[in-house]
Amino acid sequence: MFLLAMRSLRQRPGRFAGTLLAAFLGAAITMTFNSLHDTAAAPGIDDASAETLNLSGGVVGGYGTLLVFFAIASTLTVTVRQREEEMELLRRTGATPRQLGRMVVGEAAVVALAATVLAILPAMLGGRVLLGMFHDSGQVARDVDYAFGPIALSAGFGVTLLASVGAAFLAVRRATRAGRRAPRTRLRALGGALALLGGAAGVSTTFALDATDPILMAPAAEGAILLSIGLAAFSPALLRALLACLGRPFAALAGPSGYLAVLNLRRNAARLAGILMPLVLFTGIATATLCMQAVESDAIEASGLTKSVEDKNMETLNLIVVGIIVVFACVMLINSLYAATAYRVREFGRQRLTGATPRQVIGMVGAEATLLTVTGVLLGTAAGLAGLVPFTLVRADEALPGQAPWIWLGIVAVAVAATVVTAVATARRGLRVPAVAAVAVAA
Amino acid sequence: MFRRNRERGHGPSAEALRLVKVGKVYRAGGQDAGKPGEAGDRESTVTALHDVTLSLPTGSFTAVMGPSGSGKSTLLQCAAGLERPDSGIVVVDGEEVTAGDEAQLAVFRRLRIGFVFQQYNLLPTLTVLENTTLPLRLARRRVNLPRAREILGQVGLGDRLGHLPDQLSGGQRQRVAIARALVTEPSVIFADEPTGALDLRSAREVLALLREAVSRHGRTVVMVTHDPVAASYADAVLFLADGRLAGSLAAPTVDAVAERLAHLGDEVYAAGRPEFRAGV
Repeated sequence: MFLLAMRSLRQRPGRFAGTLLAAFLGAAITMTFNSLHDTAAAPGIDDASAETLNLSGGVVGGYGTLLVFFAIASTLTVTVRQREEEMELLRRTGATPRQLGRMVVGEAAVVALAATVLAILPAMLGGRVLLGMFHDSGQVARDVDYAFGPIALSAGFGVTLLASVGAAFLAVRRATRAGRRAPRTRLRALGGALALLGGAAGVSTTFALDATDPILMAPAAEGAILLSIGLAAFSPALLRALLACLGRPFAALAGPSGYLAVLNLRRNAARLAGILMPLVLFTGIATATLCMQAVESDAIEASGLTKSVEDKNMETLNLIVVGIIVVFACVMLINSLYAATAYRVREFGRQRLTGATPRQVIGMVGAEATLLTVTGVLLGTAAGLAGLVPFTLVRADEALPGQAPWIWLGIVAVAVAATVVTAVATARRGLRVPAVAAVAVAA
Repeated sequence: MFRRNRERGHGPSAEALRLVKVGKVYRAGGQDAGKPGEAGDRESTVTALHDVTLSLPTGSFTAVMGPSGSGKSTLLQCAAGLERPDSGIVVVDGEEVTAGDEAQLAVFRRLRIGFVFQQYNLLPTLTVLENTTLPLRLARRRVNLPRAREILGQVGLGDRLGHLPDQLSGGQRQRVAIARALVTEPSVIFADEPTGALDLRSAREVLALLREAVSRHGRTVVMVTHDPVAASYADAVLFLADGRLAGSLAAPTVDAVAERLAHLGDEVYAAGRPEFRAGV
C-alpha cells in the first residue's frame, strides 16, 4: 500500500498541490515562530529580550497547530473525495478499508515531510525578519543573534506530520464509511449557538472594564472571533434567507446566469458551509482585530504617551495572530471553492448541452461567487462590528474609528478577489473540456 | 389535445438535416487529425466517419444503427454541432452548422436542436419544470409556462412539476429530457441511446413519446441505438459500419433490423472495403 501511495503521488503531483501548500504554510509559520525559542535559548540573553521572544514564539503554539490541522484536513477531504472512483476501484479489486486508509495516510505523511523540508529555508528567512522587527522596535536587544535549531525543526516536523496524518485519517474514515451521512446540522447548530452565546458574553464584558485596562482588547477580540464562528455555523440558513428576499430581483437583473446561480445556491445552501465559514471568519476576525489595533494605537498616541514594550509586543502579536488566521482562512476558502467548482465540470457540461454558452456558465459561477461573498462579508462584518463597537466606545468614547471604513474596504477587496477569481478561473479551466466529454467523465 | 406547432421564426424547409461528405478522424491521443484520406495508412488514427452523405426530410423518425465503433455517435455529434467534422458540410433546416466557435454553436443548437441523452443530462438543482424551460431561459426567450406544463402533462409528468431529478425514476427523467427537447420546437431532435439505461417498460414509453414527437408535434427525430426494438419505432433505419453508410431499411421490423445487423459485417466484407479488418 505504501508503494501504491508513492506511485499515486508521482503520477498525480498536481492533485496534492493544495495539501502541499497548506502543509508548507503551516510548517513555515510553525518553524518561523519556534525558531524564536531557539534564539531565546542561546546563552547570555537578557531577560526582557528572552521574554519577548518566548512570548512571540508561543503565540502560534496550540491554536497554530489546530489551524494547520483544519487547513490540511479541508484540502485532504477534497483530494479524497475527488478520488472516490479510484477508491471504489481499489475496493473492488480487494483492498480493505484499512489498506485504503494506510494509502491515504502514507501519501499525507510524504506530502507533509516534503512540505516541511521545503519550508525550512523560508522559515529561517521569516525568523530573521521577525527578529529584525524586534530589533528595530527595541523589544529585543541588538546583540541577540538569530538561531534556527532543534526546537524549530522538531516543532515543524511534529506539528505538520501530526496534523497531516490526523487529517488524512479522518478524511479517509469519512470516505470509506459505508453510505453518506447528511451533514451534522444539529451538532453544528448547537456549537454555533454556544459560540454566539460565548461571543455575546465576551463582547458585553468589555463594558465592565476600564478604558485603560490592559486586557480591554482581549474579551472584545475573542468575542468577535466567537461571534464569527457562531454566525459561520448558521451561514447556510442565513444565505437561504438572503436568497428568499433578494433571489428574484437578482435573477431578473443578472439574466439566465443569475437565474441559475440563485437556484443552485438555494438548493445547495447546506453544502456551501465549507466556503461560507472561512469567508465569515476571515472578514469578522480581520475587521475586528485590525480596527481595534488602529483604535488602540490612536488612543495611546492621543494620551501623549509613547508605546511601552508591552504595548508594542501586544501590537505585533495581534497583527501576527490576525495574519496567520487570515492566511489560513484564505487558503481554506480558495481550496474549498476550487474543489467545489472543479467538481462541477459535469454539471457545466449538462448546462452547455442544454444550450448555455461558455460565457453564460462563467457568468453563473461569477454570480454565485458574488452572492456568497456578499453573504459572508455581511455576516463577518456583523461579527466584527459587534466586537469593535463596544471596544471603541470604552476605549475612545466614539462608535467607530475613522480608519474603519478603509480597513474594511481592504478586507472586502481581498475577500472578493479570493472568491470570485478562484471560482471563475476554475470554471474557465473546466470549460476547456468539450461538453460531450464533460458529461461522460465521472468527475 | 396534441397539436402541430408550426409557428417558428424561420420557414420550415422540407429537408430537416443534410450531411454532405462528412468526414471525421481521431488520432489515438484523442486529438483531431488532419486529412481523413491518410487515415487508413497509420495505426495511430481512427477514421470515425468516411464521406457520409445523407438527407432526412422534416417530420421523419430515423434510427442510426451499427456495431460499437461504427461511428454512429460521432455521426450524431457532428450532425448536432457538438463536434466539428474534419471535412464536409452539415445543414440543419437550411442553415449550415459547421462554422463558428463554441458560443456560436451553442446559440445555434439551443433553438434549432433538441437533445435526449442516455444519461438524461438534467440539472440536479432544477425542478422538472425548471429543467424543461431552461433552454428558453438561456436563449432569453419568453417562457410560456402553460405550454411547458402542457408538454409535461403529455409526457405523463403533470403531477411531478416541482420534483427534483433525484426524486424521479430513470424513465421519468428521460421523459423530462424529451419534454425539454420539445419545448423549444427545434428543427431536429437528436437522441443518443435514449433507452440505454432504462428497463423494458420505461424504454417502450420513451420510444412511444419520441414517435409522438414526430407524428403529433411534427418534429424530426434522429436516434442512435443498437437495440433493434428501439429502431423498429422509427420510419427508417440507416446502417453504419466502419464509418460508412452501409445501407438502409424502410418501415423496419425488429426481426428485419436484427437480421441486417447480424450480416452487416458480411456486406462490408463482400463490398471489399479496404479498411475492413477482422474483429472490428
